[in-house]
Amino acid sequence: MNFVAPVINYSQVLPILIVLGTALLGVIVEAFVARDRRYQIQVPLSIAGLVVAFVWILKIHATTAITAESAVAIDGPALVLQGAIVILGIAGLLLIAERKLDSSGDAFVAQAAAIPGSEAERTATLAKLTQTEVFPLTLFAIAGMMLFPAANDLVTMFVALEVLSLPLYLMSGLARRRRLLSQEAALKYFLLGAFSSAFFLYGAAFLYGYSGSVGFRQIREAIQTNAGNDVFLLTGIALVSVGLLFKVSAVPFHSWTPDVYQGAPTPVTAFMAACTKIAAFGAFARLFYVGLSGARWDWRPMLTVIAIATMVLGALWALTQTDIKRMLAYSSVAHSGFILTGIVATNKAGLSGTLFYLVTYGFTTIGAFAIVTLVRNASGEATHISGYAGLGKRSPWIAMLLSLFLLALAGIPLTSGFVAKFAVFSAAYESGSTVLVIFGVLTSAIAAFFYIRLIVLMFFQDPEEDGPTVAAAPLMTTAAIALCATVTLVLGILPNSLVHVIDAASRFVF
Amino acid sequence: MNLILAANPFTPGQTGTPEAVLFWILAPLAVLAAVSMIFVKKAVHSALLLAWVMITLAIFYIAEDAPFLGIVQIVVYTGAVMMLFLFILMLVGVDSSDSLVETIKGQRVMAMIGALGFAVLLIGAIGRSYTGFAGLTAANTDGNVEGLAQLLFTRYVWAFEVVSALLITAALGAMVLGHRERSSERPTQRELSILRFRPGSKLPGAPLPNPGVYALHNAVDVPALLPDGTPDPSSVSRVLKARGDVLDTKAFEMHTIEEGEDESK
Repeated sequence: MNFVAPVINYSQVLPILIVLGTALLGVIVEAFVARDRRYQIQVPLSIAGLVVAFVWILKIHATTAITAESAVAIDGPALVLQGAIVILGIAGLLLIAERKLDSSGDAFVAQAAAIPGSEAERTATLAKLTQTEVFPLTLFAIAGMMLFPAANDLVTMFVALEVLSLPLYLMSGLARRRRLLSQEAALKYFLLGAFSSAFFLYGAAFLYGYSGSVGFRQIREAIQTNAGNDVFLLTGIALVSVGLLFKVSAVPFHSWTPDVYQGAPTPVTAFMAACTKIAAFGAFARLFYVGLSGARWDWRPMLTVIAIATMVLGALWALTQTDIKRMLAYSSVAHSGFILTGIVATNKAGLSGTLFYLVTYGFTTIGAFAIVTLVRNASGEATHISGYAGLGKRSPWIAMLLSLFLLALAGIPLTSGFVAKFAVFSAAYESGSTVLVIFGVLTSAIAAFFYIRLIVLMFFQDPEEDGPTVAAAPLMTTAAIALCATVTLVLGILPNSLVHVIDAASRFVF
Repeated sequence: MNLILAANPFTPGQTGTPEAVLFWILAPLAVLAAVSMIFVKKAVHSALLLAWVMITLAIFYIAEDAPFLGIVQIVVYTGAVMMLFLFILMLVGVDSSDSLVETIKGQRVMAMIGALGFAVLLIGAIGRSYTGFAGLTAANTDGNVEGLAQLLFTRYVWAFEVVSALLITAALGAMVLGHRERSSERPTQRELSILRFRPGSKLPGAPLPNPGVYALHNAVDVPALLPDGTPDPSSVSRVLKARGDVLDTKAFEMHTIEEGEDESK
């Protein structure tokens, strides 16, 4: 037997490798550097790694290639999403690294192994212990997220899915305050995530049984020549979709979202809400547009129903929430429905609309959650909506920024959310899915109601007597919020530059 | 030569009679073990049943001409993973048990109906579309292990390498969740013994009593009787108590001496 060495074009996968390498350096720092110096090294190291990765992505921006023995496809959509994930990863890391907000340290528990409420926990908190392992964990998650939308076969996709999920399961359980809630969130996320991964794997086996390969190109060709057994194909599509729809939190696979978003430390929630959605929808688009495009008449009805259910139920549930993190979680469910509208369009406008939506949604979400970390009372973040009453009178700037993000989430003109929604809805209309557009516009109206209700609460009600206060925004959180607000505004007023970039990039390689 | 070939029942790509016999004996046992794994109460039993399921699967893999997968299944799953399960059970303690209270009413019934429906759907779909074996001979042309190695180090080398990130994450995560640094010094033997003899201490100054040693019975599962005839619960291992394996001491206890009875009798 001849062994031919595999060919990997390292320049094309270098961004992923840089992030992975930085994560490994972070692990070594954890192992060998004295405890009180770790934070000072981890934060610049992680951010530098991400910046270098982003610079390299810019350098290879025109690449369209399949590499690593056709396991990885580096093309326009992959690079756009990788770039977005890296930038949002920096914003997320800034929030994770923030130590000025909580009087006893950062947002993470002093010692995860200490039982909540125990003497050990108290002494660990008093000793000001911190867990700087969150930095390499975040970087591992980012690397997985960068690989996910670039994965060109089902095996690589599955591995990327696990690489991005495992650190998130862990970090969800590390909240400093309300630890039992956080641990419950982590356990739920882990069990349900493992379950959905099993579905994905089972579906991948069926698709392999259908086409004799896990590569997207081979699956595509098998569908075009009608080579295999249709039952295997349909079962495979259904099961693989379950795994991916879970990650993007589409109804009926959304039930983990509110609990995990609420229980996880808010910086982790911000990071995960933005970046997981981008990565998962990127993978979703590649699988359905490249691998399964020939079977689109089979999966479009299914995804249409799921998109409608996700939009309607997500918006309705969000209406009834009294906790701002849960409300944003259900709003994220509704947004999954809107983004699915772009996927279901199955045309070029749909793809570029989806990409644009993902990028803008990521910035808006991180910004909104970053502001949630600022509104605090004695026991930590005040996440009950009543705490936001009169915020506009106490700290007008913060209230105005939160309003900006909420208006962008609602899709009001002059914010990036409007351009994004317009892009996916017009693409869906172009492809003939008028029903989707009607439902999309109606649910956008419902969704606008609960966003604007919060804005009204902030500006037209008197603050509670002993209500929460807004922390004077410290440097790193301010930087993250400023980045997100600028992008949200600029893309709302002058979306053209990014729209052109994404339009030019919206072509999958196979 | 031809005769031998014709008599050989092991034509690749077809189920031979021995394989069928093996399957019909082991498969029901595997399913039985898998189902009872969910229903048994004790975690150790669950783990052992799972080990059995995995061994059965390994035998199937070997019977289906995938020797490498079969051996790996035994070495990695039955060997390493199962032992880890048992280690964890040992660390957590057999006396800790999960609450089986349903927080959502009727959840178990609904889950069972859902699972049954899903199983029927899948079995129906697979059963309808089964067409026979394909590709086994091609896959094993150069030998099973060689074929796998070839794939692993060429076609799937990227996925194979990226899995290392997963393993590092898992190790790091286990450290984060499990590693506890002592914030205070561990008490020395001297300090401990001073503590035991201090007035008001709940710990006895002397070592704990041994479990029962009697003329009638000599075992670790009977509590010792104190000089006044009462059993001492501290003499039996906590674990045995949790398992419910401690014998009743009634039979060995001294009768209380009734008033007026002659003690010298």
